[in-house]
Amino acid sequence: MYIFGKLMWFFRENKRLYVLGLSFLFLTEISQMVSPALIGLFTDTVISRTLTIENLAFYTGGILLFSILMYIFRYAWITHIFQGSALLEKTLRQKLFDHYMKMDTTFYQRHRTGDLMAHATNDLSAVQRVASGGILMLVDSVVVIIFTVISMVLVVGWRLTLVGVLPLPLLVLGVRYLSPKMRDAFTSSQEAFSRLSNKSQESIAGVKAIKTLGQEAEDIADFENQVKDTIQINKHVAFIDALFGPMATIIMTLSYVVMIIYGGSLVINEEITIGQLVSFSTYLGLLVWPMFGLGQLFNVLERGNASYTRVQTILSEKSAIFEEENGVKEAARGDLDMQIVQFTYPDDQDKMPALKDINITIQAGKTLGIVGRVGAGKTTLLKLLLRQFDGYEGAIRVGSVNIKNYTLNAYLKSIGYVAQENFLFSTTVRDNIRFSDVDKSQENVEEAARKASFHEDILSLPEGYDTEVGEHGVSLSGGQKQRLAIARALITNPEILILDDALSAVDALTEKQILNTLRSERQEKTTIIAAHRISSVMNADEIIVLEHGKITERGSHADLVALNGWYAEMYQQQQLVTKIEDKLNGEAVGDV
Amino acid sequence: MSEKNKSVWAKSLPIKEQLHVIVTLIKLAKPFRKMFFGALAFGGVFALLQAAAPRVIAYYLTDYLQQSDNVSLQIMISFAILVAIIRVSQAVADVLNAYYFTVAAEYALEDIRVQVFSKLHALGMHFFDQVPAGSLVTRVNNDTAALADFWRFFMQLTFVIMSIIGAYIGMLTVSVKATLLMLIIVPFVIGSVFLYQRFSSSLFRHMRQRLSHLNAQIAESITGIDVIQEFHQEDRFKKTFAKVNNDYFNARFKMVKADALLLEPMIDLLLGAAMFLVLWYFGVLSMSTVVTAGVIYAFTTYLNNIFSPLESVMNLFSPFQEGLVSGYRILGILSDETYAPAQNINASESITAGEIEFKQVDFSYDGKHQILKNLTFSAKPGDTVALVGHTGSGKSSTINTLMRFYDFQKGEILIDGHDIRDIYLKSIRQKMGLVLQDPFMFYGDISSNIRMYDDTITDKQIKDAAIFVGADKFISTLPGQYHAKVQEGGSGFSAGEKQLISFARTIVRDPKILILDEATANVDTETEALIQKSLLKMRQNRTTIAIAHRLSTIKDADLILVLDSGEVVERGTHDELLKQGGRYYDLYRLQGINETNLTI
Repeated sequence: MYIFGKLMWFFRENKRLYVLGLSFLFLTEISQMVSPALIGLFTDTVISRTLTIENLAFYTGGILLFSILMYIFRYAWITHIFQGSALLEKTLRQKLFDHYMKMDTTFYQRHRTGDLMAHATNDLSAVQRVASGGILMLVDSVVVIIFTVISMVLVVGWRLTLVGVLPLPLLVLGVRYLSPKMRDAFTSSQEAFSRLSNKSQESIAGVKAIKTLGQEAEDIADFENQVKDTIQINKHVAFIDALFGPMATIIMTLSYVVMIIYGGSLVINEEITIGQLVSFSTYLGLLVWPMFGLGQLFNVLERGNASYTRVQTILSEKSAIFEEENGVKEAARGDLDMQIVQFTYPDDQDKMPALKDINITIQAGKTLGIVGRVGAGKTTLLKLLLRQFDGYEGAIRVGSVNIKNYTLNAYLKSIGYVAQENFLFSTTVRDNIRFSDVDKSQENVEEAARKASFHEDILSLPEGYDTEVGEHGVSLSGGQKQRLAIARALITNPEILILDDALSAVDALTEKQILNTLRSERQEKTTIIAAHRISSVMNADEIIVLEHGKITERGSHADLVALNGWYAEMYQQQQLVTKIEDKLNGEAVGDV
Repeated sequence: MSEKNKSVWAKSLPIKEQLHVIVTLIKLAKPFRKMFFGALAFGGVFALLQAAAPRVIAYYLTDYLQQSDNVSLQIMISFAILVAIIRVSQAVADVLNAYYFTVAAEYALEDIRVQVFSKLHALGMHFFDQVPAGSLVTRVNNDTAALADFWRFFMQLTFVIMSIIGAYIGMLTVSVKATLLMLIIVPFVIGSVFLYQRFSSSLFRHMRQRLSHLNAQIAESITGIDVIQEFHQEDRFKKTFAKVNNDYFNARFKMVKADALLLEPMIDLLLGAAMFLVLWYFGVLSMSTVVTAGVIYAFTTYLNNIFSPLESVMNLFSPFQEGLVSGYRILGILSDETYAPAQNINASESITAGEIEFKQVDFSYDGKHQILKNLTFSAKPGDTVALVGHTGSGKSSTINTLMRFYDFQKGEILIDGHDIRDIYLKSIRQKMGLVLQDPFMFYGDISSNIRMYDDTITDKQIKDAAIFVGADKFISTLPGQYHAKVQEGGSGFSAGEKQLISFARTIVRDPKILILDEATANVDTETEALIQKSLLKMRQNRTTIAIAHRLSTIKDADLILVLDSGEVVERGTHDELLKQGGRYYDLYRLQGINETNLTI
């Protein structure tokens, strides 16, 4: 019941909808009471042969009139209450979405995409059901039960009513007993379904591996086994599901037995009429659904409450990125100065610093190269620069302003970041490139694509710049995706461009082309390139080598080769392997 | 969202297609007909019992209660017991009907699910290269699951029809004339059902379309959140979403209104009208002749029995439509004919030595663009042939034809002197080991990933294979070692580790022919060295066809084929090609690499 209190803000906001909706629902329930009484009276006058054309018209006309009234009332309450519940779902969904849009990286690390999706879909449906089915069941069970019982007492007297209604609470208990069982069975059925889904997903994704080994028959046998298990689980669901209706039939039978014996003897003793007995049986029928509803009400409310709590918990999470309200609103520009004493990931159990003693200064217009093994801290350093984490010791300044003092809007606008794996949206190539500003012209888009050496590729796509990419569109190769992402960053002409291993799938020749373009086009702007491939960074003004979060080597390419350390070793190895292989295979090895 | 994705909900199936789908789905359920008919029989019993109870009570009211001198406590108890027996049997028939029908539907749909899954495995790589994996997963799982609604609709429909027939039979036993009068309502019932069906199905489709659009929008915004925030597009996305959210709300509200107008309230209105009609008739009748309480009781109860189950059928209309669309898509897969290339009938030769010969092989994926032209080369047992060339030069196609993933159109591929089509497929799969560029890991553990269902492979053989390829070292550091869990897609393992496990998977089968689609994966230098060493070992005593990126493979290959647009433009050993001074030489010289540095 708490959940209704928690949703009160919404009911208040939409007072008119709910006052009207509940009034119509109430009218509907009351109107339901009329026709059984009329049928009873009709029966008595027919049996006693006292029926006149006037009271025939009164009884049957009354039944027809109330049927029509009920139709109108029903239409009215359904459209009001269900509109309200859909509105509630819509409102909460927008809140959640807006919230997702502003949350930080740690939030997205804590919550998986699937869970966040579930909050915006399943959880909201459960809350929505409280405001539709929940309200209906509550009003139905309270109002219908009270009014039916009152009507019964008025029409047939309290004794028969009491004895006749006595078995019905068993129905509530029965539903309450079966519902959790049904829920458990249903949960295990859903689990079985997702096991099957995962299995088939894997078989389809790995179809080449399976064909290679000729294991088709075995894989089908494995699938069949899982299907057999699923059938067993679903049989159980079917069994429990099949029990609900018959349970009502059997419990109602108890009431009918009472009606026949006790009601019958009341008729014989002339304490009630046969017509009243007929009314009684119709009233009994009216009670079945509210009893069912009462049994399920608690479930609906419980689930709605749990879902609402989950949604509220998510909504109450705060973004860790601190937004300086009176921050600098001008675009960040100028020399970049990173002085990081130490940084540890907030969720790191061992409290191992991911970065330590980093001091780098890059003048505007210069290029910094960062190399190092996987996990050496390259990406971490860039994450701090992107303000995905603010909890470090030290300061990062752009144009001698601490980056935390900029407004996020001003700061991020100045930065272009391209990762190794880049997400593309399900829209055209054009809109993906001009993602930062969908009003940019085709010339702007093409210019950016040319700079990223991607223009030619786009022209060879089925519909050129109008080709859909993303999940349902054409699939681009790794190298094409990287170049699209570079174009997407370049179109903003960022003060600081960060390429985080963003050329890894691009072949050597194209890489050279892009780097040359960047050098000539970005003389005033700062570029940071983190890479595995030495060829990506060898022309940078300064190169740093990271190891275990610390700078171990630094200097120009020539300096580092002369130093004869890790960098020099890597350079020699890669020169042999990578470049020749790429050459031998022509333009785009990474694109295979 | 692309048009392709929208189309499912954007248009309804033509009636002819619908009928075809229904008929085919019913045919597919034939093996389970006993269970379906059993369920129907119980449904019939239920309907009759449901009609019997009011009849008994009506009899009791008229013949006993109305003539009170007739009745004793004993008679009342007997009636109570009779009604109780009827209703309890009715409940039992109800359980059996619902349970058996649902279970029969479950068997039927799981059977179709297995058929779809098996069918997929019978299809060729050509099919998988064309159809996105995600949509196939949906076919196998979600579409078959939607068939449950298809069957549930039929169950409710037969149930309703039987209830109505039962009720009419019951009415007939009470009053023939009144029953005939009640036939007037049948067209109204059918009319309202059709009216609702017409309105709801397009509204429902509209709503579903909006919903899937909405969900896609949320999912994409969550996955792309980094990019959105980086480019500061939060406000744009919020606005777009507000529109999508509102569209869905509107679509849904329309559906609510249609339901309120035509569903439950309408059925109750019709019930009220029928009630009016029957009572008016009996009222007028009672003025000239005797009408008993039982008659009135029976008719009002039967009318309820006719109308109340209607709503549940109408509620199932939309899911039924959904089931039909799913069925349509499933049948699409089941009738697809992009089969894997077939071997010749009576193909019985096997691979023994591993000699390969391509004789003037032509190959095209689509019959229009020639991918391989007149490809000719041979490899003696134990030889290594390296394929070098640009993307699209025909390297992968050569492997695809050799692996029988695709059929070639002209020429001959001979293995050990036999036409490749005369070798039975199992021998090809066992004796030709393909090492994939992107090794695929299956959910399970390390052993199961190496064994891959082949139960004849012992644990020792698995360990030996792992030792041979150099994977044993990292496997033994894992918790549980060879039984260490492998998650979907092998997450948690590095690219190099996955590569080594897939080597072991190939080697444990001891193939005669090794086919390498060499990876250009980003692995660190140390792992690369390990992979190189392993590859060298694997190639010993095996015929090897390699799409070569690695110098070591190229340098000591017995034959290097330089491919361009499906044609061999140069062939020879490394030294020969260098001497030849052609394309290979150019590529090589371009690097200015000193030969002494070539060993890796």
